Amino acid sequence: MKYTEDERALIWLHACTEFDPREKIALLRAAPSPSALFSHPERYLSALGKEEVAEGLSMRSERLERFLAELEESGYFAVTVESCDYPEALKIASPPLVMFGAGRRELLKERKFCIVGSRITPSWAAALGSRIAERLSRDFAVVTGLAEGGDCAAIRGALMSGKLICVLPNGLDTCYPAAHAALKEEVRRVGLLLSEYLPGETAKKYSFHARNRILAGLAEGTLVISAGERSGALITAYDAVDFGRDVFAFPYNPGTAQGVGCNELLKRGAYVCTGIQDILEVYHLKEETDVRQPLTEEETRAYEVLQAEGELHAAVIADRAGIPVYQMAAILASLELKGYVVKAGGNRYSCV
Amino acid sequence: MIAKIICYALNGLDGIPVEVETDVNKGVPAYDMVGLPDAAVKESKERVRSALKNSGLLFPMNKITINFAPADLKKEGASFDLAIAISLLKASEQLIGADVDGIVFLGELALNGDVRPISGLLPILISAKGHGFTKFVIPAANAKEARFLGGAEIYPAENLLEIVKHLLGIEVIQPLETAEYTVSRGGKGSADLKYVKGQPIARRALEIAVAGGHNVLMVGPPGTGKTMLARCLPTIMPDLAFDEALEITKIHSVAGILGEEGIVTERPFRTPHHTATTVSMCGGGNRIVHPGEISLAHGGVLFLDELPEYKRSTLEALRQPLEDGKISVSRAGGTFTYPSRFMLCASMNPCPCGNYGSANLICTCTPAEIRRYKRKISGPLLDRIDLQVEVDNISYDDLTSSEDREDSATVRERVNVARRIQRNRFSKYELNTNAEMGEREIGEFCRLSPESERILRNAFERMKLSARARARIIKVSRTIADLDSSENILPKHVFEAVSYRLDDKL
Repeated sequence: MKYTEDERALIWLHACTEFDPREKIALLRAAPSPSALFSHPERYLSALGKEEVAEGLSMRSERLERFLAELEESGYFAVTVESCDYPEALKIASPPLVMFGAGRRELLKERKFCIVGSRITPSWAAALGSRIAERLSRDFAVVTGLAEGGDCAAIRGALMSGKLICVLPNGLDTCYPAAHAALKEEVRRVGLLLSEYLPGETAKKYSFHARNRILAGLAEGTLVISAGERSGALITAYDAVDFGRDVFAFPYNPGTAQGVGCNELLKRGAYVCTGIQDILEVYHLKEETDVRQPLTEEETRAYEVLQAEGELHAAVIADRAGIPVYQMAAILASLELKGYVVKAGGNRYSCV
Repeated sequence: MIAKIICYALNGLDGIPVEVETDVNKGVPAYDMVGLPDAAVKESKERVRSALKNSGLLFPMNKITINFAPADLKKEGASFDLAIAISLLKASEQLIGADVDGIVFLGELALNGDVRPISGLLPILISAKGHGFTKFVIPAANAKEARFLGGAEIYPAENLLEIVKHLLGIEVIQPLETAEYTVSRGGKGSADLKYVKGQPIARRALEIAVAGGHNVLMVGPPGTGKTMLARCLPTIMPDLAFDEALEITKIHSVAGILGEEGIVTERPFRTPHHTATTVSMCGGGNRIVHPGEISLAHGGVLFLDELPEYKRSTLEALRQPLEDGKISVSRAGGTFTYPSRFMLCASMNPCPCGNYGSANLICTCTPAEIRRYKRKISGPLLDRIDLQVEVDNISYDDLTSSEDREDSATVRERVNVARRIQRNRFSKYELNTNAEMGEREIGEFCRLSPESERILRNAFERMKLSARARARIIKVSRTIADLDSSENILPKHVFEAVSYRLDDKL
């Protein structure tokens, strides 16, 4: 990977442990260009009053070369604010100077839409979120994290098309949660992994907050599929509001713990999202007709029963539709495969 | 004079003939036992001495040598007492004129001369009959299990004196009459599907599981009737045939847990506690290897309640017996093989708090906690469980239909039909049920129509199923088709099988 002088300077500065992030910004402001800073850092240290570190920077060229070689070897690339494909949308209040990536770099140039949710997501929200992600990934690259629940639902939906960007709160070579190591590799294979953290850095409490600003900053809009009262998904949503982006949320029944945050967003003026059309309309995109397979007569009966009541036990659906329970099991499995219903646990099903 | 008496030692479920040779010589009174007797056998000296004295018989004050042949087999337990006593009597010429040739003597002696019951009598009788012996003297208390062995003269004895009188022809003991085997219906337990309220989906899953010999896992919150459902399993299993009953009785006889009837007429239902050790589950012991829970459940159901609470190593030990239908336990004393073809029925909560999927309670578990909980069960074990069904705690009061209040007998009828279809199908193979099919048989007997194939492929992609899950779904669809008396696997069968699918990671 070839980097320009300015890019190299930024990568060096980003990987530098001698300065904290605020000092790095101050240095960049003080120097006419990043490359000038790199060639003569001692000239600008006075702005920080940290002249004493100048000696420690003498090996910077070698260190940078070694770092870039390691990056290359791991198959990672760096995107800097000076890079031509650095997303314009991300030039926000405190943009990451450098992000490391693995996978399809060209996804950075796509339109982007963010889908997030808390770890505890009801199955109907996960299924609906997946379907929305699947559809949106035709016009957008879907931006999300790598956590269980909401993030996972978005990933599942977008994996098929591969237009998927996962932004991690840790170095690209570590994985949080560890159980998603395989999922992470899958995303790297078909989509793009991004992180502003150096390889080897583990996730910290604050890094989730910091990561959320990138999620919100990358995307034109953010959909929150589930959020409790203090969910991290809300941080992303409020960041999106700060950056002037659209925020969508699923409406929840009052009193549902997993949806308190979503309802709060709606109260503050977020778009109500009950299906893919609510998002497509905002972006003036054409909604395609339902691509799901048509239903048989019995399936329609079961689906109508379920639509009327939202969420029901399989035995109750069978009873209402007048179909034996064991046949209903088969019908519901068929409906599930066709993407009309989703299992909610305890033999209960709900519509999508 | 030398006397030879036949008795039997037990090796696993096989009886091994042992000759008890006694020589009474003139000389300084002594009593020597040779031929690898263990402590319990050596102690028989005192029991035999007292029993003889208290029966009014004579314990010879001579040099006595007792030899057990074959000499290389270790003799264990107290079941040789009677044979030692009889051979002593014969050698000391107290049984002149009595014909003891070809009679097998089995029993432990009490000090007053009573004959005490022994464990493992039935397997010994069956082996001995196979070796050509047809006359047996056994403890009267064991008579019930011996009744079912036809084609042999079996004399049940209360005490030693009775036997001596019988042998001398003074007072003959009446041989046992062969009992007719009758299947017990409904039996002792109160378990019956008609008492299970609601749970139509779980009922159906159990029916399929029994019909195809599939293992089943029930997932549901506490107090939803998982144990109640499991207890009904033996009542819907096919009737116990005599051969099968005899085999189960052998195992229970060796374990010494045979009930009043003397033969097992109901399929066993074993529920080892989750603190069970690997040895108690698989069998073991330092001298005699006792059959473990999985062997005691042979022909019946092994119910593991709260599956994740069992020790991982104990569960892993089940894998091989689940595959082979038998377990070999190796100990210093030798290797013992017990049959263990059982149906595994397990239950577990959906999450640590137990409320996941509940209609009115809120689950407070994080995904990581649930994952940790479920990870206690290994993939290879899950691979051997074809059906997974959710048991819920919904109230069924608002259901109008009453069709799911069938009793066990009705369900068993359907199971019997499905089993018959399977027997015909597998008549040329060494298989009994659909669950035992391998890849080759699946290819031969489970041809899917293009439509069914398409459904399965669709399910495969959408649900991210593994290759093993696919085989399981096909096997279960085959059973559902059998229950439907359908030659071909139709789409609806595949769909239903998919609805009881196993999540690989659970």
